[in-house]
Amino acid sequence: MIRAFYLFVVFFVYQNIYAQPNCEVFKYNGDTLKYEACKKAMGIKGQYQFSKEYQSILNESLKIDSTFDYAYWAKSIAYLKSGDFITWKKLIDKAVDLNPVEYLGYRGWCRYQFFRDYEGAINDIEALEKIKEGDIAYSQNGTYHLKIVKGLCYKAIGKKDKAIEIIENQLIINEKIDFVGQFDYLHLGVLYLETNQLERAIETFNKQSISYELAENQYYLALTYLQLKDNDKYISCLLEAKALYLKGSKVMDVYDNPMDKIYLTDIENKL
Amino acid sequence: MKISFKTYLDNKVIFMRNFLFLLLLSFTFSCHCNRDIHQPKYLRWVGDIEYNDKLDNSNFKICNGEENVLQYFSTAEGPVYFGEKSVLLEIFKTKYSPKYDSSQNGLIRIRFIVNCEGKADRFRMIQSNFDYEEFEFNTKITTQLLVITRSIEKWEVLYQDNVPVDYYKYLIFKIKNGQIDQILP
Repeated sequence: MIRAFYLFVVFFVYQNIYAQPNCEVFKYNGDTLKYEACKKAMGIKGQYQFSKEYQSILNESLKIDSTFDYAYWAKSIAYLKSGDFITWKKLIDKAVDLNPVEYLGYRGWCRYQFFRDYEGAINDIEALEKIKEGDIAYSQNGTYHLKIVKGLCYKAIGKKDKAIEIIENQLIINEKIDFVGQFDYLHLGVLYLETNQLERAIETFNKQSISYELAENQYYLALTYLQLKDNDKYISCLLEAKALYLKGSKVMDVYDNPMDKIYLTDIENKL
Repeated sequence: MKISFKTYLDNKVIFMRNFLFLLLLSFTFSCHCNRDIHQPKYLRWVGDIEYNDKLDNSNFKICNGEENVLQYFSTAEGPVYFGEKSVLLEIFKTKYSPKYDSSQNGLIRIRFIVNCEGKADRFRMIQSNFDYEEFEFNTKITTQLLVITRSIEKWEVLYQDNVPVDYYKYLIFKIKNGQIDQILP
Protein backbone atom coordinates (compact mmCIF):
# COMPACT_ATOMS: atom_id res chain seq x y z
CA MET A 1 0.00 0.00 0.00
CA ILE A 2 2.80 2.37 0.98
CA ARG A 3 4.64 1.42 -2.17
CA ALA A 4 1.60 2.08 -4.28
CA PHE A 5 1.13 5.44 -2.61
CA TYR A 6 4.74 6.35 -3.20
CA LEU A 7 4.57 5.31 -6.81
CA PHE A 8 1.59 7.58 -7.16
CA VAL A 9 3.48 10.47 -5.56
CA VAL A 10 6.52 9.93 -7.77
CA PHE A 11 4.35 9.65 -10.83
CA PHE A 12 2.52 12.82 -9.90
CA VAL A 13 5.75 14.72 -9.23
CA TYR A 14 7.13 13.56 -12.54
CA GLN A 15 4.14 14.74 -14.38
CA ASN A 16 5.35 18.24 -13.55
CA ILE A 17 8.29 17.69 -15.83
CA TYR A 18 7.02 15.14 -18.28
CA ALA A 19 3.63 16.71 -18.80
CA GLN A 20 2.76 20.05 -20.22
CA PRO A 21 2.36 22.90 -17.76
CA ASN A 22 -0.99 24.21 -16.63
CA CYS A 23 -1.31 27.48 -18.54
CA GLU A 24 -4.27 28.60 -16.45
CA VAL A 25 -1.92 29.10 -13.50
CA PHE A 26 -0.17 31.91 -15.39
CA LYS A 27 -3.50 33.48 -16.22
CA TYR A 28 -4.62 33.20 -12.62
CA ASN A 29 -1.40 34.93 -11.52
CA GLY A 30 -1.95 37.72 -14.01
CA ASP A 31 1.01 36.82 -16.22
CA THR A 32 -0.77 37.13 -19.55
CA LEU A 33 2.39 37.02 -21.62
CA LYS A 34 3.44 33.69 -20.14
CA TYR A 35 -0.13 32.47 -20.47
CA GLU A 36 -0.06 33.21 -24.22
CA ALA A 37 3.39 31.65 -24.59
CA CYS A 38 2.16 28.59 -22.73
CA LYS A 39 -0.96 28.26 -24.85
CA LYS A 40 1.18 28.46 -27.97
CA ALA A 41 3.60 25.85 -26.62
CA MET A 42 0.74 23.45 -26.00
CA GLY A 43 0.61 23.04 -29.77
CA ILE A 44 3.47 20.54 -29.48
CA LYS A 45 1.06 17.93 -28.21
CA GLY A 46 1.24 14.98 -30.56
CA GLN A 47 4.36 16.27 -32.34
CA TYR A 48 7.64 14.34 -32.27
CA GLN A 49 10.33 16.04 -30.15
CA PHE A 50 12.77 15.94 -33.07
CA SER A 51 10.39 17.38 -35.67
CA LYS A 52 10.61 20.84 -37.16
CA GLU A 53 6.95 21.37 -36.31
CA TYR A 54 7.63 20.73 -32.61
CA GLN A 55 10.69 23.00 -32.57
CA SER A 56 8.98 25.75 -34.59
CA ILE A 57 5.98 25.89 -32.27
CA LEU A 58 8.30 26.34 -29.30
CA ASN A 59 10.17 29.08 -31.15
CA GLU A 60 6.85 30.87 -31.61
CA SER A 61 6.16 30.44 -27.93
CA LEU A 62 9.51 31.99 -27.05
CA LYS A 63 8.82 34.88 -29.40
CA ILE A 64 5.80 35.66 -27.24
CA ASP A 65 7.72 35.33 -23.98
CA SER A 66 11.45 34.70 -24.07
CA THR A 67 11.41 33.84 -20.34
CA PHE A 68 9.14 30.81 -20.70
CA ASP A 69 11.50 28.18 -19.25
CA TYR A 70 9.41 25.17 -20.25
CA ALA A 71 9.91 25.95 -23.96
CA TYR A 72 13.70 25.96 -23.62
CA TRP A 73 13.59 22.67 -21.76
CA ALA A 74 11.25 21.06 -24.29
CA LYS A 75 13.40 22.26 -27.20
CA SER A 76 16.57 20.92 -25.61
CA ILE A 77 15.48 17.27 -25.48
CA ALA A 78 16.04 16.37 -29.14
CA TYR A 79 19.51 17.93 -29.05
CA LEU A 80 20.36 15.94 -25.96
CA LYS A 81 19.18 12.69 -27.49
CA SER A 82 21.04 13.31 -30.73
CA GLY A 83 24.25 13.95 -28.81
CA ASP A 84 24.47 17.64 -29.77
CA PHE A 85 25.85 18.68 -26.41
CA ILE A 86 26.62 22.23 -27.56
CA THR A 87 23.08 23.22 -28.54
CA TRP A 88 21.57 21.18 -25.70
CA LYS A 89 23.66 22.98 -23.12
CA LYS A 90 22.72 26.42 -24.44
CA LEU A 91 19.04 25.58 -24.26
CA ILE A 92 18.99 23.79 -20.92
CA ASP A 93 21.11 26.54 -19.35
CA LYS A 94 18.38 29.01 -20.29
CA ALA A 95 15.76 26.83 -18.61
CA VAL A 96 17.93 26.43 -15.49
CA ASP A 97 18.66 30.15 -15.27
CA LEU A 98 14.95 30.93 -15.44
CA ASN A 99 13.77 28.14 -13.15
CA PRO A 100 16.59 26.44 -11.24
CA VAL A 101 14.38 24.53 -8.83
CA GLU A 102 12.62 22.83 -11.72
CA TYR A 103 15.57 22.07 -13.99
CA LEU A 104 18.81 21.84 -11.98
CA GLY A 105 18.22 18.21 -11.04
CA TYR A 106 17.24 17.37 -14.60
CA ARG A 107 20.37 18.98 -16.05
CA GLY A 108 22.54 17.25 -13.46
CA TRP A 109 21.05 13.90 -14.33
CA CYS A 110 21.52 14.46 -18.07
CA ARG A 111 25.12 15.50 -17.54
CA TYR A 112 25.69 12.18 -15.84
CA GLN A 113 23.58 9.99 -18.08
CA PHE A 114 24.59 11.27 -21.50
CA PHE A 115 28.04 12.77 -20.99
CA ARG A 116 29.46 11.23 -17.80
CA ASP A 117 30.12 14.80 -16.65
CA TYR A 118 30.51 13.79 -13.01
CA GLU A 119 31.66 17.11 -11.58
CA GLY A 120 28.96 18.99 -13.49
CA ALA A 121 26.29 16.62 -12.23
CA ILE A 122 27.49 16.90 -8.63
CA ASN A 123 27.48 20.71 -8.87
CA ASP A 124 23.94 20.78 -10.22
CA ILE A 125 22.53 18.32 -7.70
CA GLU A 126 24.24 20.03 -4.77
CA ALA A 127 23.03 23.42 -5.99
CA LEU A 128 19.51 21.99 -6.10
CA GLU A 129 19.87 20.65 -2.55
CA LYS A 130 20.65 24.16 -1.38
CA ILE A 131 17.63 25.83 -2.93
CA LYS A 132 14.92 23.17 -2.92
CA GLU A 133 12.83 22.54 0.13
CA GLY A 134 12.13 18.89 0.81
CA ASP A 135 13.09 15.96 -1.35
CA ILE A 136 15.14 16.60 -4.51
CA ALA A 137 13.35 13.73 -6.26
CA TYR A 138 14.41 11.31 -8.95
CA SER A 139 16.26 11.08 -12.24
CA GLN A 140 14.21 11.78 -15.34
CA ASN A 141 13.87 8.09 -16.16
CA GLY A 142 12.85 7.30 -12.58
CA THR A 143 15.66 4.77 -12.10
CA TYR A 144 17.55 6.62 -9.39
CA HIS A 145 16.99 9.06 -6.60
CA LEU A 146 19.17 12.06 -7.43
CA LYS A 147 21.19 11.47 -4.24
CA ILE A 148 22.11 8.03 -5.56
CA VAL A 149 23.18 9.72 -8.81
CA LYS A 150 25.33 12.08 -6.77
CA GLY A 151 26.87 9.09 -4.98
CA LEU A 152 27.68 7.40 -8.30
CA CYS A 153 29.34 10.59 -9.52
CA TYR A 154 31.49 10.76 -6.39
CA LYS A 155 32.49 7.16 -6.98
CA ALA A 156 33.47 8.00 -10.56
CA ILE A 157 35.80 10.78 -9.42
CA GLY A 158 37.45 8.45 -6.94
CA LYS A 159 35.69 9.45 -3.72
CA LYS A 160 34.37 6.01 -2.90
CA ASP A 161 33.93 6.47 0.84
CA LYS A 162 31.83 9.54 0.25
CA ALA A 163 29.86 7.69 -2.41
CA ILE A 164 29.14 4.83 0.01
CA GLU A 165 28.00 7.22 2.71
CA ILE A 166 25.62 9.04 0.36
CA ILE A 167 24.14 5.86 -1.09
CA GLU A 168 23.83 4.13 2.29
CA ASN A 169 21.96 7.13 3.72
CA GLN A 170 19.62 7.35 0.76
CA LEU A 171 18.97 3.60 0.83
CA ILE A 172 17.82 3.86 4.45
CA ILE A 173 15.15 6.29 3.26
CA ASN A 174 14.36 4.26 0.15
CA GLU A 175 13.90 1.10 2.22
CA LYS A 176 11.71 2.93 4.71
CA ILE A 177 9.33 4.01 1.97
CA ASP A 178 9.70 0.69 0.16
CA PHE A 179 11.03 2.31 -2.98
CA VAL A 180 14.52 1.07 -3.68
CA GLY A 181 15.82 1.83 -7.17
CA GLN A 182 16.25 -0.93 -9.70
CA PHE A 183 20.07 -0.98 -9.47
CA ASP A 184 20.68 0.67 -6.06
CA TYR A 185 21.88 -2.44 -4.20
CA LEU A 186 24.03 -3.51 -7.13
CA HIS A 187 25.91 -0.21 -7.18
CA LEU A 188 26.40 -0.21 -3.42
CA GLY A 189 27.52 -3.84 -3.48
CA VAL A 190 30.11 -3.04 -6.16
CA LEU A 191 31.35 -0.14 -4.04
CA TYR A 192 31.75 -2.46 -1.05
CA LEU A 193 33.60 -4.95 -3.25
CA GLU A 194 35.90 -2.25 -4.57
CA THR A 195 36.68 -1.09 -1.03
CA ASN A 196 37.27 -4.65 0.16
CA GLN A 197 34.23 -4.84 2.43
CA LEU A 198 33.43 -8.31 1.22
CA GLU A 199 30.84 -9.47 3.74
CA ARG A 200 28.87 -6.28 3.22
CA ALA A 201 29.16 -6.76 -0.52
CA ILE A 202 27.65 -10.25 -0.31
CA GLU A 203 24.86 -9.04 1.94
CA THR A 204 24.04 -6.21 -0.48
CA PHE A 205 24.19 -8.37 -3.61
CA ASN A 206 21.80 -10.77 -1.89
CA LYS A 207 19.40 -7.90 -1.33
CA GLN A 208 19.64 -7.06 -5.03
CA SER A 209 18.85 -10.70 -5.86
CA ILE A 210 15.66 -10.47 -3.83
CA SER A 211 14.51 -7.16 -5.25
CA TYR A 212 15.58 -7.52 -8.89
CA GLU A 213 18.05 -10.15 -10.05
CA LEU A 214 20.58 -9.15 -12.67
CA ALA A 215 23.47 -10.76 -14.52
CA GLU A 216 25.72 -8.00 -13.18
CA ASN A 217 24.70 -8.80 -9.62
CA GLN A 218 25.79 -12.44 -9.95
CA TYR A 219 28.93 -11.40 -11.80
CA TYR A 220 30.11 -9.07 -9.05
CA LEU A 221 29.02 -11.58 -6.42
CA ALA A 222 31.28 -14.07 -8.20
CA LEU A 223 34.17 -11.61 -8.01
CA THR A 224 33.51 -11.21 -4.30
CA TYR A 225 33.70 -14.99 -3.79
CA LEU A 226 36.89 -15.03 -5.83
CA GLN A 227 38.40 -12.59 -3.34
CA LEU A 228 37.29 -14.93 -0.57
CA LYS A 229 38.88 -17.84 -2.46
CA ASP A 230 35.59 -19.73 -2.66
CA ASN A 231 36.01 -21.20 -6.12
CA ASP A 232 32.78 -23.23 -6.18
CA LYS A 233 30.62 -20.21 -5.49
CA TYR A 234 32.73 -18.15 -7.87
CA ILE A 235 31.98 -20.52 -10.75
CA SER A 236 28.31 -21.06 -9.88
CA CYS A 237 27.70 -17.29 -9.71
CA LEU A 238 29.41 -16.80 -13.07
CA LEU A 239 27.25 -19.50 -14.63
CA GLU A 240 24.18 -17.88 -13.13
CA ALA A 241 25.36 -14.50 -14.45
CA LYS A 242 25.71 -15.95 -17.93
CA ALA A 243 22.25 -17.53 -17.83
CA LEU A 244 20.72 -14.25 -16.65
CA TYR A 245 22.58 -12.30 -19.30
CA LEU A 246 21.39 -14.55 -22.10
CA LYS A 247 17.87 -14.31 -20.73
CA GLY A 248 18.09 -10.51 -20.91
CA SER A 249 18.12 -9.89 -17.15
CA LYS A 250 20.87 -7.29 -17.18
CA VAL A 251 21.52 -3.64 -16.51
CA MET A 252 20.01 -1.67 -19.36
CA ASP A 253 18.92 1.82 -20.36
CA VAL A 254 17.45 3.05 -23.62
CA TYR A 255 19.96 5.88 -24.01
CA ASP A 256 23.17 4.84 -22.32
CA ASN A 257 25.16 1.96 -20.89
CA PRO A 258 24.75 2.43 -17.13
CA MET A 259 27.54 2.26 -14.60
CA ASP A 260 28.58 -1.27 -13.53
CA LYS A 261 27.13 -2.77 -16.70
CA ILE A 262 28.99 -5.81 -17.98
CA TYR A 263 29.11 -7.63 -21.31
CA LEU A 264 28.93 -11.30 -22.17
CA THR A 265 32.65 -11.40 -22.87
CA ASP A 266 33.34 -10.19 -19.32
CA ILE A 267 31.63 -13.32 -18.02
CA GLU A 268 32.95 -15.73 -20.60
CA ASN A 269 36.54 -14.55 -20.16
CA LYS A 270 36.35 -15.68 -16.54
CA LEU A 271 34.75 -19.06 -17.13
CA MET B 1 56.40 -12.46 -48.00
CA LYS B 2 58.67 -10.18 -50.01
CA ILE B 3 57.26 -7.28 -51.93
CA SER B 4 58.96 -5.38 -54.72
CA PHE B 5 60.28 -1.89 -54.17
CA LYS B 6 57.77 -0.59 -56.69
CA THR B 7 54.88 -2.22 -54.80
CA TYR B 8 56.25 -0.76 -51.59
CA LEU B 9 56.33 2.72 -53.15
CA ASP B 10 52.85 2.28 -54.59
CA ASN B 11 51.51 1.28 -51.17
CA LYS B 12 53.25 4.23 -49.60
CA VAL B 13 51.75 6.63 -52.13
CA ILE B 14 48.27 5.15 -51.62
CA PHE B 15 48.66 5.39 -47.86
CA MET B 16 49.78 9.02 -48.03
CA ARG B 17 47.00 9.90 -50.45
CA ASN B 18 44.39 8.30 -48.17
CA PHE B 19 45.88 9.97 -45.13
CA LEU B 20 45.83 13.45 -46.71
CA PHE B 21 42.32 12.85 -47.96
CA LEU B 22 41.12 11.92 -44.50
CA LEU B 23 42.98 14.83 -42.95
CA LEU B 24 41.15 17.14 -45.29
CA LEU B 25 37.89 15.43 -44.46
CA SER B 26 38.43 15.83 -40.74
CA PHE B 27 38.28 19.58 -41.30
CA THR B 28 35.29 19.43 -43.55
CA PHE B 29 33.39 16.84 -41.50
CA SER B 30 33.37 19.19 -38.55
CA CYS B 31 29.85 20.48 -38.38
CA HIS B 32 29.80 24.24 -38.12
CA CYS B 33 26.06 24.05 -37.68
CA ASN B 34 23.87 27.06 -37.24
CA ARG B 35 23.65 27.20 -33.49
CA ASP B 36 21.23 30.10 -33.20
CA ILE B 37 18.95 28.49 -30.66
CA HIS B 38 16.02 30.71 -31.60
CA GLN B 39 15.99 30.63 -35.41
CA PRO B 40 17.81 27.58 -36.68
CA LYS B 41 17.11 26.10 -40.09
CA TYR B 42 15.25 22.85 -39.56
CA LEU B 43 15.27 19.78 -41.71
CA ARG B 44 12.78 16.98 -41.12
CA TRP B 45 14.17 16.25 -37.66
CA VAL B 46 16.76 17.80 -35.39
CA GLY B 47 20.16 16.38 -36.32
CA ASP B 48 19.24 15.06 -39.77
CA ILE B 49 22.29 14.68 -42.00
CA GLU B 50 21.81 15.58 -45.65
CA TYR B 51 23.82 13.86 -48.34
CA ASN B 52 26.89 15.85 -49.36
CA ASP B 53 28.61 14.68 -52.51
CA LYS B 54 31.93 16.10 -51.31
CA LEU B 55 31.90 14.11 -48.09
CA ASP B 56 29.70 11.08 -48.47
CA ASN B 57 29.88 7.78 -50.26
CA SER B 58 27.48 7.93 -53.19
CA ASN B 59 27.08 4.15 -53.06
CA PHE B 60 25.80 4.21 -49.51
CA LYS B 61 22.22 3.03 -49.55
CA ILE B 62 19.40 4.26 -47.31
CA CYS B 63 17.15 1.23 -47.45
CA ASN B 64 13.82 2.66 -46.34
CA GLY B 65 14.02 6.24 -47.60
CA GLU B 66 15.47 9.39 -46.03
CA GLU B 67 12.12 10.17 -44.43
CA ASN B 68 12.24 6.95 -42.41
CA VAL B 69 15.69 7.12 -40.83
CA LEU B 70 15.17 6.59 -37.09
CA GLN B 71 17.27 7.31 -34.00
CA TYR B 72 19.44 4.69 -32.28
CA PHE B 73 17.03 4.51 -29.34
CA SER B 74 13.86 4.22 -31.43
CA THR B 75 13.71 0.46 -31.06
CA ALA B 76 14.24 0.70 -27.27
CA GLU B 77 17.09 -1.81 -27.25
CA GLY B 78 19.54 0.65 -25.77
CA PRO B 79 22.82 1.63 -27.41
CA VAL B 80 23.84 -1.67 -28.97
CA TYR B 81 26.95 -2.51 -30.95
CA PHE B 82 27.79 -5.34 -33.29
CA GLY B 83 29.59 -7.82 -31.06
CA GLU B 84 28.72 -5.68 -28.02
CA LYS B 85 30.42 -2.51 -26.83
CA SER B 86 33.47 -4.36 -25.60
CA VAL B 87 34.41 -4.99 -29.25
CA LEU B 88 34.12 -1.30 -30.06
CA LEU B 89 36.26 -0.37 -27.07
CA GLU B 90 38.91 -2.84 -28.14
CA ILE B 91 38.99 -1.40 -31.66
CA PHE B 92 39.76 2.10 -30.35
CA LYS B 93 42.14 0.77 -27.74
CA THR B 94 44.25 -0.97 -30.33
CA LYS B 95 43.98 1.54 -33.18
CA TYR B 96 44.03 4.95 -31.51
CA SER B 97 47.54 6.30 -30.94
CA PRO B 98 47.28 8.78 -28.11
CA LYS B 99 49.73 11.59 -27.71
CA TYR B 100 49.77 13.36 -24.38
CA ASP B 101 48.71 16.97 -24.81
CA SER B 102 47.38 18.88 -21.80
CA SER B 103 45.53 21.33 -24.07
CA GLN B 104 43.33 18.66 -25.65
CA ASN B 105 40.31 18.19 -23.40
CA GLY B 106 36.62 17.92 -24.09
CA LEU B 107 34.00 16.05 -26.06
CA ILE B 108 33.97 14.90 -29.66
CA ARG B 109 30.81 13.49 -31.17
CA ILE B 110 30.82 11.58 -34.44
CA ARG B 111 27.30 11.01 -35.73
CA PHE B 112 26.35 8.94 -38.74
CA ILE B 113 23.68 6.78 -40.33
CA VAL B 114 23.64 2.99 -40.02
CA ASN B 115 21.63 1.38 -42.77
CA CYS B 116 19.55 -1.79 -42.82
CA GLU B 117 22.66 -3.84 -43.67
CA GLY B 118 24.68 -2.53 -40.72
CA LYS B 119 26.87 -0.32 -42.91
CA ALA B 120 27.57 3.31 -41.97
CA ASP B 121 28.14 6.62 -43.75
CA ARG B 122 27.45 10.39 -43.59
CA PHE B 123 29.83 10.91 -40.72
CA ARG B 124 29.71 14.35 -39.09
CA MET B 125 31.64 15.68 -36.15
CA ILE B 126 31.11 18.29 -33.43
CA GLN B 127 33.63 19.24 -30.78
CA SER B 128 33.50 21.07 -27.47
CA ASN B 129 35.53 21.67 -24.36
CA PHE B 130 34.29 20.35 -21.03
CA ASP B 131 32.17 23.47 -20.61
CA TYR B 132 30.21 22.41 -23.71
CA GLU B 133 31.60 25.36 -25.68
CA GLU B 134 32.75 24.86 -29.26
CA PHE B 135 36.41 23.90 -29.42
CA GLU B 136 38.66 22.62 -32.17
CA PHE B 137 40.79 19.67 -31.27
CA ASN B 138 44.10 18.97 -32.88
CA THR B 139 43.40 17.25 -36.21
CA LYS B 140 45.76 14.44 -35.20
CA ILE B 141 43.04 13.46 -32.73
CA THR B 142 39.96 14.13 -34.85
CA THR B 143 41.40 12.49 -37.96
CA GLN B 144 42.28 9.34 -36.08
CA LEU B 145 38.85 9.09 -34.50
CA LEU B 146 37.16 9.62 -37.82
CA VAL B 147 39.36 7.12 -39.65
CA ILE B 148 38.82 4.46 -37.01
CA THR B 149 35.07 5.04 -36.84
CA ARG B 150 34.80 4.88 -40.63
CA SER B 151 36.86 1.70 -40.70
CA ILE B 152 34.29 -0.21 -38.63
CA GLU B 153 32.65 -2.38 -41.22
CA LYS B 154 29.70 -3.71 -39.30
CA TRP B 155 27.25 -2.02 -36.97
CA GLU B 156 24.30 -3.60 -35.26
CA VAL B 157 21.23 -3.98 -37.46
CA LEU B 158 18.10 -2.73 -35.72
CA TYR B 159 14.64 -3.99 -36.52
CA GLN B 160 11.19 -2.53 -36.22
CA ASP B 161 8.30 -4.94 -36.77
CA ASN B 162 10.88 -7.45 -38.03
CA VAL B 163 11.98 -5.02 -40.75
CA PRO B 164 15.63 -3.87 -40.66
CA VAL B 165 15.73 -0.09 -40.34
CA ASP B 166 18.13 2.78 -41.02
CA TYR B 167 19.05 4.84 -37.99
CA TYR B 168 21.21 7.65 -36.68
CA LYS B 169 23.96 6.62 -34.31
CA TYR B 170 26.66 8.59 -32.55
CA LEU B 171 29.79 8.03 -30.55
CA ILE B 172 30.94 10.59 -28.01
CA PHE B 173 34.61 10.52 -27.12
CA LYS B 174 35.61 12.08 -23.83
CA ILE B 175 39.14 13.29 -24.43
CA LYS B 176 41.48 14.07 -21.54
CA ASN B 177 44.98 15.30 -22.33
CA GLY B 178 44.66 13.90 -25.83
CA GLN B 179 43.73 10.42 -24.59
CA ILE B 180 40.37 8.69 -24.98
CA ASP B 181 38.96 8.68 -21.46
CA GLN B 182 35.57 7.20 -22.33
CA ILE B 183 33.46 6.31 -25.34
CA LEU B 184 29.74 6.94 -24.97
CA PRO B 185 27.00 5.85 -25.03
